[in-house]
Amino acid sequence: MTQDVLGASRCPRCRRVVAPPALMCPDHPVVMEPHLVPAVGEVVSFTTLYSPPEGFRSPLHIAIVELDGGARLFCHGEETRGVKIGSRVSVEDVNSIFYFSHMGFAARARLFWRRTGYRGEKVAAIGKSFVKGFWKGTSREDR
Amino acid sequence: MYVEGCQGARNEVWRSKLPQGRRHDNVDTGPASGLIGGVTDVWIAGAGMTRFGKREESLPALMAEASGLALSDAGIERPGSIVVAAMNPEEFTGEGNYGSLIATHLGLSHVPTIRVETATSSGMAAVYAGYALIASGLQDSVLVVGGEKMTHLPTPRVSEIIGRSIDAHERSYGSTMPALAGLITRAAMQRRGLTLKEISLVAVKNHANAARNPFAHFQEPVTLETVMESRLVADPLRLYHCCPMSDGAAAVVLRAEPAPVRIAGIGQGMESIAIRYRSDLTSFRATQVAAEAAYRMAGFGSERVDVAELHDAFTPFELLSLEDTGLVPPGKSGRAILDGDTAIGGRLPVNPSGGLKARGHPLAATGVSQIVELVWQLRGLAEGRQVDARIGLAQSIGGLATNNWVALLERRR
Repeated sequence: MTQDVLGASRCPRCRRVVAPPALMCPDHPVVMEPHLVPAVGEVVSFTTLYSPPEGFRSPLHIAIVELDGGARLFCHGEETRGVKIGSRVSVEDVNSIFYFSHMGFAARARLFWRRTGYRGEKVAAIGKSFVKGFWKGTSREDR
Repeated sequence: MYVEGCQGARNEVWRSKLPQGRRHDNVDTGPASGLIGGVTDVWIAGAGMTRFGKREESLPALMAEASGLALSDAGIERPGSIVVAAMNPEEFTGEGNYGSLIATHLGLSHVPTIRVETATSSGMAAVYAGYALIASGLQDSVLVVGGEKMTHLPTPRVSEIIGRSIDAHERSYGSTMPALAGLITRAAMQRRGLTLKEISLVAVKNHANAARNPFAHFQEPVTLETVMESRLVADPLRLYHCCPMSDGAAAVVLRAEPAPVRIAGIGQGMESIAIRYRSDLTSFRATQVAAEAAYRMAGFGSERVDVAELHDAFTPFELLSLEDTGLVPPGKSGRAILDGDTAIGGRLPVNPSGGLKARGHPLAATGVSQIVELVWQLRGLAEGRQVDARIGLAQSIGGLATNNWVALLERRR
Protein backbone atom coordinates (compact mmCIF):
# COMPACT_ATOMS: atom_id res chain seq x y z
CA MET A 1 0.00 0.00 0.00
CA THR A 2 1.53 3.31 -1.03
CA GLN A 3 1.10 6.16 1.40
CA ASP A 4 0.19 9.45 -0.13
CA VAL A 5 2.33 11.81 1.91
CA LEU A 6 5.32 11.78 4.23
CA GLY A 7 6.13 14.12 7.10
CA ALA A 8 8.78 16.73 6.36
CA SER A 9 9.69 20.22 7.47
CA ARG A 10 10.16 23.49 5.62
CA CYS A 11 12.32 26.51 6.30
CA PRO A 12 10.12 29.61 6.57
CA ARG A 13 12.97 31.72 5.19
CA CYS A 14 14.34 29.80 2.18
CA ARG A 15 11.38 27.41 1.64
CA ARG A 16 13.76 24.49 1.64
CA VAL A 17 12.09 21.16 2.48
CA VAL A 18 13.88 18.37 4.37
CA ALA A 19 12.72 14.92 5.41
CA PRO A 20 12.43 13.41 7.94
CA PRO A 21 11.39 16.55 9.86
CA ALA A 22 14.27 18.50 11.41
CA LEU A 23 14.30 21.25 14.00
CA MET A 24 16.61 23.72 12.24
CA CYS A 25 17.11 24.60 8.58
CA PRO A 26 20.54 23.33 7.45
CA ASP A 27 21.26 26.68 5.79
CA HIS A 28 19.70 29.15 8.23
CA PRO A 29 19.55 29.34 12.02
CA VAL A 30 15.75 29.26 11.77
CA VAL A 31 13.25 26.80 13.29
CA MET A 32 11.48 24.87 10.52
CA GLU A 33 7.72 24.44 10.20
CA PRO A 34 5.91 21.10 9.66
CA HIS A 35 5.21 20.21 6.05
CA LEU A 36 3.97 17.27 3.99
CA VAL A 37 5.47 15.92 0.77
CA PRO A 38 4.15 13.34 -1.70
CA ALA A 39 5.62 9.86 -1.17
CA VAL A 40 6.88 9.49 -4.73
CA GLY A 41 10.07 10.65 -6.31
CA GLU A 42 13.12 9.95 -8.41
CA VAL A 43 16.19 7.92 -7.52
CA VAL A 44 19.20 10.25 -7.12
CA SER A 45 21.66 7.42 -6.49
CA PHE A 46 21.75 3.92 -5.08
CA THR A 47 24.24 1.35 -3.91
CA THR A 48 24.41 -2.21 -2.67
CA LEU A 49 26.58 -2.72 0.37
CA TYR A 50 28.26 -6.12 0.63
CA SER A 51 29.90 -5.61 4.02
CA PRO A 52 27.18 -3.85 6.01
CA PRO A 53 27.67 -2.86 9.64
CA GLU A 54 26.39 -4.94 12.53
CA GLY A 55 22.63 -5.35 12.58
CA PHE A 56 22.21 -5.42 8.79
CA ARG A 57 22.30 -8.31 6.37
CA SER A 58 24.29 -8.39 3.13
CA PRO A 59 23.48 -7.41 0.43
CA LEU A 60 22.03 -4.16 1.74
CA HIS A 61 20.33 -1.90 -0.80
CA ILE A 62 20.38 1.82 -0.03
CA ALA A 63 19.05 4.61 -2.23
CA ILE A 64 18.72 8.38 -2.04
CA VAL A 65 15.32 9.42 -3.43
CA GLU A 66 14.37 12.99 -4.27
CA LEU A 67 10.69 13.32 -3.48
CA ASP A 68 8.46 15.39 -5.73
CA GLY A 69 8.11 17.92 -2.91
CA GLY A 70 11.84 18.64 -2.98
CA ALA A 71 13.23 16.72 0.01
CA ARG A 72 15.79 13.94 -0.36
CA LEU A 73 15.45 10.73 1.65
CA PHE A 74 17.57 7.75 2.50
CA CYS A 75 15.64 4.52 1.79
CA HIS A 76 16.06 0.82 1.94
CA GLY A 77 14.90 -1.34 -0.93
CA GLU A 78 14.28 -5.00 -1.49
CA GLU A 79 16.03 -4.92 -4.85
CA THR A 80 18.03 -2.57 -7.05
CA ARG A 81 17.79 -4.63 -10.23
CA GLY A 82 16.11 -2.53 -12.88
CA VAL A 83 16.56 0.64 -10.82
CA LYS A 84 18.36 3.48 -12.57
CA ILE A 85 19.28 6.99 -11.55
CA GLY A 86 16.12 8.92 -12.41
CA SER A 87 13.79 5.94 -11.93
CA ARG A 88 10.38 6.81 -10.50
CA VAL A 89 9.86 5.10 -7.16
CA SER A 90 7.28 5.22 -4.43
CA VAL A 91 8.38 5.52 -0.82
CA GLU A 92 6.73 3.90 2.16
CA ASP A 93 7.23 4.63 5.82
CA VAL A 94 7.21 1.48 7.96
CA ASN A 95 7.98 2.14 11.62
CA SER A 96 9.86 5.32 10.68
CA ILE A 97 12.10 3.50 8.20
CA PHE A 98 11.65 4.44 4.57
CA TYR A 99 11.48 1.84 1.81
CA PHE A 100 11.46 2.50 -1.90
CA SER A 101 9.89 0.35 -4.54
CA HIS A 102 10.32 0.61 -8.25
CA MET A 103 7.22 1.76 -10.07
CA GLY A 104 6.45 -0.06 -13.25
CA PHE A 105 4.37 1.51 -16.01
CA ALA A 106 1.10 0.24 -14.56
CA ALA A 107 1.89 1.60 -11.09
CA ARG A 108 2.89 4.93 -12.57
CA ALA A 109 -0.27 5.10 -14.67
CA ARG A 110 -2.38 4.38 -11.58
CA LEU A 111 -0.54 7.06 -9.67
CA PHE A 112 -1.10 9.76 -12.26
CA TRP A 113 -4.69 8.67 -12.76
CA ARG A 114 -5.29 9.32 -9.07
CA ARG A 115 -3.25 12.49 -8.86
CA THR A 116 -3.90 14.77 -11.80
CA GLY A 117 -7.14 16.69 -12.38
CA TYR A 118 -9.11 16.30 -15.61
CA ARG A 119 -9.22 13.15 -17.68
CA GLY A 120 -7.19 14.74 -20.50
CA GLU A 121 -4.52 15.87 -18.04
CA LYS A 122 -4.35 12.38 -16.60
CA VAL A 123 -3.67 10.81 -19.96
CA ALA A 124 -1.13 13.52 -20.81
CA ALA A 125 0.68 12.99 -17.49
CA ILE A 126 0.82 9.24 -17.99
CA GLY A 127 2.13 9.69 -21.51
CA LYS A 128 4.72 12.23 -20.39
CA SER A 129 5.94 10.01 -17.59
CA PHE A 130 6.22 7.09 -19.99
CA VAL A 131 8.21 9.10 -22.52
CA LYS A 132 10.43 10.51 -19.78
CA GLY A 133 11.11 7.04 -18.42
CA PHE A 134 11.88 5.73 -21.87
CA TRP A 135 14.23 8.64 -22.65
CA LYS A 136 16.08 8.16 -19.37
CA GLY A 137 16.46 4.48 -20.03
CA THR A 138 18.07 4.98 -23.41
CA SER A 139 20.33 8.00 -22.93
CA ARG A 140 22.30 7.06 -19.84
CA GLU A 141 25.71 8.40 -20.73
CA ASP A 142 24.68 11.93 -21.68
CA ARG A 143 25.82 14.74 -19.42
CA MET B 1 58.50 38.26 7.75
CA TYR B 2 55.76 39.84 5.74
CA VAL B 3 56.91 43.12 4.19
CA GLU B 4 54.76 43.97 1.19
CA GLY B 5 52.19 45.93 3.15
CA CYS B 6 48.62 44.96 3.80
CA GLN B 7 47.89 41.40 2.84
CA GLY B 8 44.22 42.30 2.60
CA ALA B 9 44.98 44.74 -0.20
CA ARG B 10 46.94 42.12 -2.11
CA ASN B 11 43.98 39.85 -1.69
CA GLU B 12 41.55 42.39 -3.15
CA VAL B 13 43.41 42.31 -6.46
CA TRP B 14 43.04 38.56 -6.71
CA ARG B 15 39.53 38.41 -5.43
CA SER B 16 38.37 40.30 -8.51
CA LYS B 17 40.00 37.69 -10.74
CA LEU B 18 38.39 34.67 -9.12
CA PRO B 19 35.10 33.34 -10.42
CA GLN B 20 32.61 34.38 -7.77
CA GLY B 21 30.12 31.97 -6.31
CA ARG B 22 30.62 29.41 -9.03
CA ARG B 23 28.70 26.15 -8.74
CA HIS B 24 27.35 26.77 -5.27
CA ASP B 25 25.61 30.10 -5.64
CA ASN B 26 22.29 28.62 -4.50
CA VAL B 27 23.52 28.60 -0.90
CA ASP B 28 24.10 31.67 1.21
CA THR B 29 27.72 31.37 2.32
CA GLY B 30 27.76 34.76 3.97
CA PRO B 31 30.77 37.04 3.73
CA ALA B 32 34.17 35.47 3.02
CA SER B 33 35.16 33.85 6.27
CA GLY B 34 37.92 35.48 8.25
CA LEU B 35 40.59 37.95 7.39
CA ILE B 36 43.06 37.05 4.68
CA GLY B 37 46.51 36.20 5.98
CA GLY B 38 48.05 37.22 9.26
CA VAL B 39 50.69 39.40 10.86
CA THR B 40 53.60 37.27 9.70
CA ASP B 41 54.32 34.62 7.10
CA VAL B 42 54.37 31.01 8.31
CA TRP B 43 57.23 28.70 7.35
CA ILE B 44 57.64 24.94 7.65
CA ALA B 45 61.00 24.43 9.31
CA GLY B 46 60.81 20.67 9.85
CA ALA B 47 58.85 17.63 8.70
CA GLY B 48 58.81 13.96 9.65
CA MET B 49 56.58 10.91 9.69
CA THR B 50 56.55 7.27 10.67
CA ARG B 51 56.13 4.45 8.21
CA PHE B 52 52.37 3.89 7.75
CA GLY B 53 50.80 0.44 8.01
CA LYS B 54 50.22 -2.11 10.73
CA ARG B 55 52.39 -0.93 13.63
CA GLU B 56 53.03 -2.60 16.96
CA GLU B 57 53.88 0.64 18.81
CA SER B 58 51.33 2.63 20.82
CA LEU B 59 49.91 5.87 19.42
CA PRO B 60 51.96 8.09 21.78
CA ALA B 61 55.10 6.22 20.67
CA LEU B 62 54.22 6.76 16.99
CA MET B 63 53.54 10.45 17.61
CA ALA B 64 56.83 10.75 19.50
CA GLU B 65 58.71 9.17 16.58
CA ALA B 66 57.20 11.62 14.06
CA SER B 67 57.63 14.61 16.41
CA GLY B 68 61.28 13.76 17.08
CA LEU B 69 62.01 13.62 13.36
CA ALA B 70 60.26 16.94 12.68
CA LEU B 71 61.88 18.75 15.63
CA SER B 72 65.38 17.57 14.75
CA ASP B 73 64.75 18.48 11.09
CA ALA B 74 63.85 21.99 12.32
CA GLY B 75 66.83 22.03 14.66
CA ILE B 76 64.83 22.89 17.78
CA GLU B 77 64.31 20.96 20.99
CA ARG B 78 61.36 22.75 22.54
CA PRO B 79 58.59 24.36 20.46
CA GLY B 80 56.63 27.32 21.82
CA SER B 81 53.38 25.38 21.50
CA ILE B 82 52.03 21.99 20.37
CA VAL B 83 48.91 21.15 18.36
CA VAL B 84 47.85 17.48 18.48
CA ALA B 85 45.45 15.92 15.96
CA ALA B 86 43.73 12.63 16.79
CA MET B 87 40.28 11.79 15.46
CA ASN B 88 39.08 9.34 18.06
CA PRO B 89 41.79 7.99 20.36
CA GLU B 90 39.17 7.68 23.13
CA GLU B 91 37.51 4.80 21.29
CA PHE B 92 40.47 3.42 19.37
CA THR B 93 42.85 3.30 22.33
CA GLY B 94 40.71 4.05 25.38
CA GLU B 95 42.69 7.13 26.38
CA GLY B 96 41.59 10.75 26.58
CA ASN B 97 43.01 14.19 27.43
CA TYR B 98 45.19 13.61 24.42
CA GLY B 99 46.93 16.98 24.24
CA SER B 100 48.39 16.65 27.72
CA LEU B 101 49.08 12.95 27.24
CA ILE B 102 51.22 13.59 24.16
CA ALA B 103 52.99 16.64 25.60
CA THR B 104 54.00 14.61 28.65
CA HIS B 105 55.01 11.64 26.51
CA LEU B 106 57.26 13.93 24.42
CA GLY B 107 58.97 15.23 27.55
CA LEU B 108 57.40 18.63 26.86
CA SER B 109 54.80 18.58 29.61
CA HIS B 110 55.07 22.33 30.26
CA VAL B 111 54.61 23.37 26.62
CA PRO B 112 51.09 24.76 25.93
CA THR B 113 49.21 22.09 23.95
CA ILE B 114 45.78 21.86 22.34
CA ARG B 115 44.04 19.02 20.51
CA VAL B 116 42.11 19.61 17.28
CA GLU B 117 39.47 17.39 15.67
CA THR B 118 37.53 17.67 12.38
CA ALA B 119 36.99 13.95 11.67
CA THR B 120 39.27 12.57 8.94
CA SER B 121 40.72 15.99 8.13
CA SER B 122 41.88 16.58 11.74
CA GLY B 123 45.53 16.63 10.64
CA MET B 124 45.02 19.55 8.30
CA ALA B 125 42.87 21.33 10.89
CA ALA B 126 45.82 21.05 13.29
CA VAL B 127 48.12 22.55 10.66
CA TYR B 128 45.61 25.40 10.37
CA ALA B 129 45.57 25.90 14.15
CA GLY B 130 49.38 25.98 14.12
CA TYR B 131 49.32 28.38 11.18
CA ALA B 132 46.93 30.66 13.09
CA LEU B 133 49.15 30.63 16.20
CA ILE B 134 52.15 31.81 14.19
CA ALA B 135 50.37 34.14 11.76
CA SER B 136 48.67 35.94 14.63
CA GLY B 137 51.98 36.49 16.37
CA LEU B 138 50.95 34.46 19.43
CA GLN B 139 53.80 31.95 18.98
CA ASP B 140 56.98 31.80 16.94
CA SER B 141 57.31 28.02 16.77
CA VAL B 142 54.63 25.32 16.85
CA LEU B 143 54.89 21.53 16.64
CA VAL B 144 51.91 20.04 14.78
CA VAL B 145 51.56 16.28 15.19
CA GLY B 146 48.76 14.02 13.97
CA GLY B 147 48.34 10.28 14.40
CA GLU B 148 45.95 7.39 14.73
CA LYS B 149 46.20 3.79 15.85
CA MET B 150 43.44 1.48 14.64
CA THR B 151 44.66 -1.83 13.20
CA HIS B 152 44.70 -3.54 16.62
CA LEU B 153 40.86 -3.56 16.57
CA PRO B 154 38.67 -5.87 14.42
CA THR B 155 37.67 -4.29 11.09
CA PRO B 156 33.88 -4.06 11.77
CA ARG B 157 34.62 -2.21 15.01
CA VAL B 158 36.94 0.23 13.21
CA SER B 159 34.30 0.82 10.50
CA GLU B 160 31.74 1.50 13.17
CA ILE B 161 33.95 4.04 14.97
CA ILE B 162 34.77 5.85 11.70
CA GLY B 163 31.10 5.62 10.70
CA ARG B 164 30.10 7.76 13.66
CA SER B 165 31.16 10.77 11.65
CA ILE B 166 28.08 10.13 9.46
CA ASP B 167 24.69 11.77 10.10
CA ALA B 168 22.67 9.65 12.58
CA HIS B 169 19.62 9.26 10.32
CA GLU B 170 21.73 8.12 7.38
CA ARG B 171 23.72 5.81 9.64
CA SER B 172 20.47 4.20 10.83
CA TYR B 173 20.09 2.84 7.27
CA GLY B 174 23.34 0.94 7.58
CA SER B 175 25.32 3.66 5.77
CA THR B 176 29.06 3.36 6.23
CA MET B 177 31.73 5.53 4.61
CA PRO B 178 32.03 3.08 1.65
CA ALA B 179 28.22 3.10 1.26
CA LEU B 180 28.08 6.90 0.99
CA ALA B 181 31.09 6.87 -1.31
CA GLY B 182 29.31 4.24 -3.42
CA LEU B 183 26.26 6.51 -3.73
CA ILE B 184 28.48 9.43 -4.76
CA THR B 185 30.47 7.31 -7.20
CA ARG B 186 27.33 5.96 -8.91
CA ALA B 187 25.98 9.51 -9.29
CA ALA B 188 29.36 10.73 -10.63
CA MET B 189 29.55 7.89 -13.15
CA GLN B 190 26.08 8.69 -14.41
CA ARG B 191 26.14 12.48 -14.31
CA ARG B 192 29.82 13.23 -14.99
CA GLY B 193 30.70 10.24 -17.12
CA LEU B 194 33.43 8.80 -14.90
CA THR B 195 34.14 5.21 -15.90
CA LEU B 196 35.13 2.16 -13.89
CA LYS B 197 38.42 2.09 -15.77
CA GLU B 198 39.26 5.67 -14.82
CA ILE B 199 38.59 5.18 -11.11
CA SER B 200 40.53 1.90 -11.21
CA LEU B 201 43.52 3.55 -12.91
CA VAL B 202 43.79 5.93 -9.93
CA ALA B 203 44.42 2.90 -7.70
CA VAL B 204 47.00 1.51 -10.15
CA LYS B 205 48.84 4.85 -10.26
CA ASN B 206 48.81 5.39 -6.50
CA HIS B 207 50.00 1.86 -5.75
CA ALA B 208 52.83 2.35 -8.26
CA ASN B 209 53.80 5.60 -6.49
CA ALA B 210 53.64 3.97 -3.05
CA ALA B 211 55.99 1.23 -4.22
CA ARG B 212 58.58 4.02 -4.50
CA ASN B 213 57.80 5.45 -1.04
CA PRO B 214 59.40 3.63 1.93
CA PHE B 215 56.87 5.26 4.29
CA ALA B 216 53.84 3.80 2.48
CA HIS B 217 51.51 1.08 3.78
CA PHE B 218 51.50 -0.83 0.46
CA GLN B 219 54.86 -1.48 -1.18
CA GLU B 220 53.63 -3.50 -4.17
CA PRO B 221 52.20 -2.24 -7.48
CA VAL B 222 48.83 -3.65 -8.61
CA THR B 223 47.46 -4.34 -12.08
CA LEU B 224 44.30 -2.87 -13.57
CA GLU B 225 42.74 -6.37 -13.68
CA THR B 226 43.37 -6.91 -9.94
CA VAL B 227 41.61 -3.63 -9.16
CA MET B 228 38.67 -4.15 -11.52
CA GLU B 229 38.12 -7.74 -10.41
CA SER B 230 38.51 -7.22 -6.66
CA ARG B 231 35.39 -7.92 -4.60
CA LEU B 232 32.50 -5.46 -4.50
CA VAL B 233 32.32 -3.42 -1.31
CA ALA B 234 29.61 -0.89 -2.11
CA ASP B 235 28.50 -1.22 -5.71
CA PRO B 236 30.12 0.18 -7.90
CA LEU B 237 33.10 0.54 -5.51
CA ARG B 238 35.41 -2.44 -5.20
CA LEU B 239 37.94 -3.29 -2.51
CA TYR B 240 40.88 -1.75 -4.41
CA HIS B 241 38.99 1.53 -4.80
CA CYS B 242 39.03 1.99 -1.01
CA CYS B 243 41.87 3.07 1.25
CA PRO B 244 43.19 0.67 3.90
CA MET B 245 43.14 1.03 7.68
CA SER B 246 46.58 2.04 8.87
CA ASP B 247 48.51 3.15 11.92
CA GLY B 248 50.97 6.00 11.82
CA ALA B 249 51.83 9.56 12.71
CA ALA B 250 53.23 12.63 10.98
CA ALA B 251 54.53 15.96 12.26
CA VAL B 252 55.66 19.37 11.05
CA VAL B 253 57.30 22.30 12.83
CA LEU B 254 55.96 25.73 11.89
CA ARG B 255 57.98 28.86 12.49
CA ALA B 256 57.78 32.61 11.98
CA GLU B 257 61.45 32.57 10.96
CA PRO B 258 62.01 31.95 7.22
CA ALA B 259 62.67 28.35 6.21
CA PRO B 260 62.78 26.66 2.77
CA VAL B 261 58.97 26.18 2.47
CA ARG B 262 56.18 28.67 3.21
CA ILE B 263 52.47 28.06 3.78
CA ALA B 264 51.21 30.41 1.07
CA GLY B 265 47.52 29.80 1.68
CA ILE B 266 45.18 27.63 3.70
CA GLY B 267 41.39 27.49 3.53
CA GLN B 268 38.49 25.62 5.07
CA GLY B 269 35.12 24.71 3.57
CA MET B 270 32.04 23.33 5.26
CA GLU B 271 29.05 21.30 4.10
CA SER B 272 26.08 19.75 5.87
CA ILE B 273 26.91 16.48 7.65
CA ALA B 274 23.84 14.90 5.99
CA ILE B 275 24.45 14.08 2.35
CA ARG B 276 20.69 14.10 1.72
CA TYR B 277 20.79 17.87 2.35
CA ARG B 278 23.15 18.44 -0.60
CA SER B 279 21.80 19.43 -3.97
CA ASP B 280 24.80 17.99 -5.83
CA LEU B 281 26.40 14.69 -4.93
CA THR B 282 29.05 14.76 -7.63
CA SER B 283 31.17 17.66 -6.43
CA PHE B 284 32.19 18.71 -2.95
CA ARG B 285 31.25 22.27 -2.18
CA ALA B 286 33.44 22.12 0.93
CA THR B 287 36.52 21.53 -1.24
CA GLN B 288 35.56 24.29 -3.69
CA VAL B 289 35.13 26.83 -0.89
CA ALA B 290 38.38 25.74 0.80
CA ALA B 291 40.30 25.96 -2.48
CA GLU B 292 38.90 29.38 -3.26
CA ALA B 293 39.95 30.64 0.19
CA ALA B 294 43.45 29.14 -0.14
CA TYR B 295 44.05 30.60 -3.61
CA ARG B 296 42.75 33.96 -2.41
CA MET B 297 45.14 33.95 0.53
CA ALA B 298 48.06 32.84 -1.62
CA GLY B 299 47.39 35.43 -4.27
CA PHE B 300 47.74 32.99 -7.17
CA GLY B 301 45.56 30.46 -8.91
CA SER B 302 45.50 26.74 -9.69
CA GLU B 303 47.64 27.19 -12.82
CA ARG B 304 50.75 27.63 -10.67
CA VAL B 305 50.38 24.33 -8.80
CA ASP B 306 53.09 21.79 -9.75
CA VAL B 307 52.23 18.84 -7.51
CA ALA B 308 49.17 17.85 -5.46
CA GLU B 309 48.33 15.54 -2.58
CA LEU B 310 44.59 14.83 -2.72
CA HIS B 311 42.29 12.94 -0.34
CA ASP B 312 41.71 9.69 -2.28
CA ALA B 313 40.06 7.72 0.56
CA PHE B 314 38.03 6.31 -2.34
CA THR B 315 39.71 6.56 -5.73
CA PRO B 316 36.87 8.47 -7.48
CA PHE B 317 37.43 11.23 -4.89
CA GLU B 318 40.84 11.95 -6.43
CA LEU B 319 39.13 12.70 -9.74
CA LEU B 320 36.34 14.76 -8.16
CA SER B 321 38.90 16.65 -6.05
CA LEU B 322 41.04 17.46 -9.09
CA GLU B 323 38.05 19.32 -10.51
CA ASP B 324 36.88 20.82 -7.20
CA THR B 325 40.32 22.37 -6.59
CA GLY B 326 40.35 23.75 -10.14
CA LEU B 327 43.49 21.79 -11.07
CA VAL B 328 41.73 20.39 -14.13
CA PRO B 329 38.69 21.90 -15.84
CA PRO B 330 35.27 20.41 -14.99
CA GLY B 331 34.73 17.07 -16.72
CA LYS B 332 38.40 16.58 -17.63
CA SER B 333 39.69 14.53 -14.68
CA GLY B 334 38.96 11.19 -16.37
CA ARG B 335 41.00 12.29 -19.37
CA ALA B 336 43.85 13.37 -17.06
CA ILE B 337 44.22 9.92 -15.50
CA LEU B 338 43.81 8.11 -18.84
CA ASP B 339 46.55 10.27 -20.40
CA GLY B 340 48.92 9.79 -17.46
CA ASP B 341 48.96 13.54 -16.69
CA THR B 342 48.74 12.87 -12.95
CA ALA B 343 51.47 10.21 -12.77
CA ILE B 344 54.99 10.99 -11.52
CA GLY B 345 56.59 12.55 -14.61
CA GLY B 346 53.22 13.76 -15.90
CA ARG B 347 52.10 17.34 -16.34
CA LEU B 348 50.67 17.52 -12.79
CA PRO B 349 51.78 14.67 -10.51
CA VAL B 350 49.02 13.80 -8.02
CA ASN B 351 49.67 11.77 -4.87
CA PRO B 352 53.33 10.95 -5.57
CA SER B 353 53.36 9.51 -2.02
CA GLY B 354 50.75 6.91 -2.97
CA GLY B 355 47.89 8.92 -1.47
CA LEU B 356 45.48 7.59 1.13
CA LYS B 357 44.88 4.67 -1.19
CA ALA B 358 48.36 3.22 -0.92
CA ARG B 359 50.41 5.29 1.55
CA GLY B 360 47.62 4.47 3.99
CA HIS B 361 45.07 6.47 5.97
CA PRO B 362 45.73 6.74 9.71
CA LEU B 363 42.90 9.31 9.97
CA ALA B 364 44.37 12.31 11.82
CA ALA B 365 47.90 11.59 10.56
CA THR B 366 46.81 11.91 6.94
CA GLY B 367 46.46 15.68 6.63
CA VAL B 368 49.84 16.27 8.27
CA SER B 369 51.47 13.54 6.16
CA GLN B 370 50.25 15.27 2.98
CA ILE B 371 52.08 18.41 4.14
CA VAL B 372 55.18 16.32 4.99
CA GLU B 373 55.19 14.79 1.50
CA LEU B 374 54.85 18.22 -0.15
CA VAL B 375 57.68 19.63 1.99
CA TRP B 376 59.91 16.74 0.92
CA GLN B 377 58.91 17.19 -2.73
CA LEU B 378 59.54 20.96 -2.64
CA ARG B 379 62.87 20.54 -0.84
CA GLY B 380 64.03 17.78 -3.22
CA LEU B 381 64.10 15.12 -0.49
CA ALA B 382 61.54 12.69 -1.96
CA GLU B 383 64.03 10.09 -3.02
CA GLY B 384 62.76 7.66 -5.65
CA ARG B 385 59.60 9.64 -6.42
CA GLN B 386 60.92 13.21 -6.74
CA VAL B 387 59.01 15.60 -8.98
CA ASP B 388 60.09 19.03 -10.15
CA ALA B 389 57.93 21.43 -8.17
CA ARG B 390 57.89 24.86 -6.56
CA ILE B 391 54.24 25.02 -5.51
CA GLY B 392 52.28 22.16 -3.97
CA LEU B 393 48.62 21.76 -3.05
CA ALA B 394 47.22 19.51 -0.34
CA GLN B 395 43.53 18.77 0.08
CA SER B 396 41.96 16.94 3.02
CA ILE B 397 38.38 15.72 3.43
CA GLY B 398 36.75 15.49 6.86
CA GLY B 399 33.86 13.07 7.28
CA LEU B 400 32.08 12.62 3.97
CA ALA B 401 33.27 16.01 2.70
CA THR B 402 31.71 17.93 5.59
CA ASN B 403 34.84 19.78 6.77
CA ASN B 404 37.46 20.11 4.06
CA TRP B 405 40.79 21.88 3.81
CA VAL B 406 43.09 23.05 1.05
CA ALA B 407 46.65 24.22 1.72
CA LEU B 408 49.16 25.71 -0.69
CA LEU B 409 52.89 25.41 -0.03
CA GLU B 410 55.55 27.42 -1.81
CA ARG B 411 59.29 26.85 -1.96
CA ARG B 412 61.36 29.92 -1.22
CA ARG B 413 62.94 31.33 -4.35
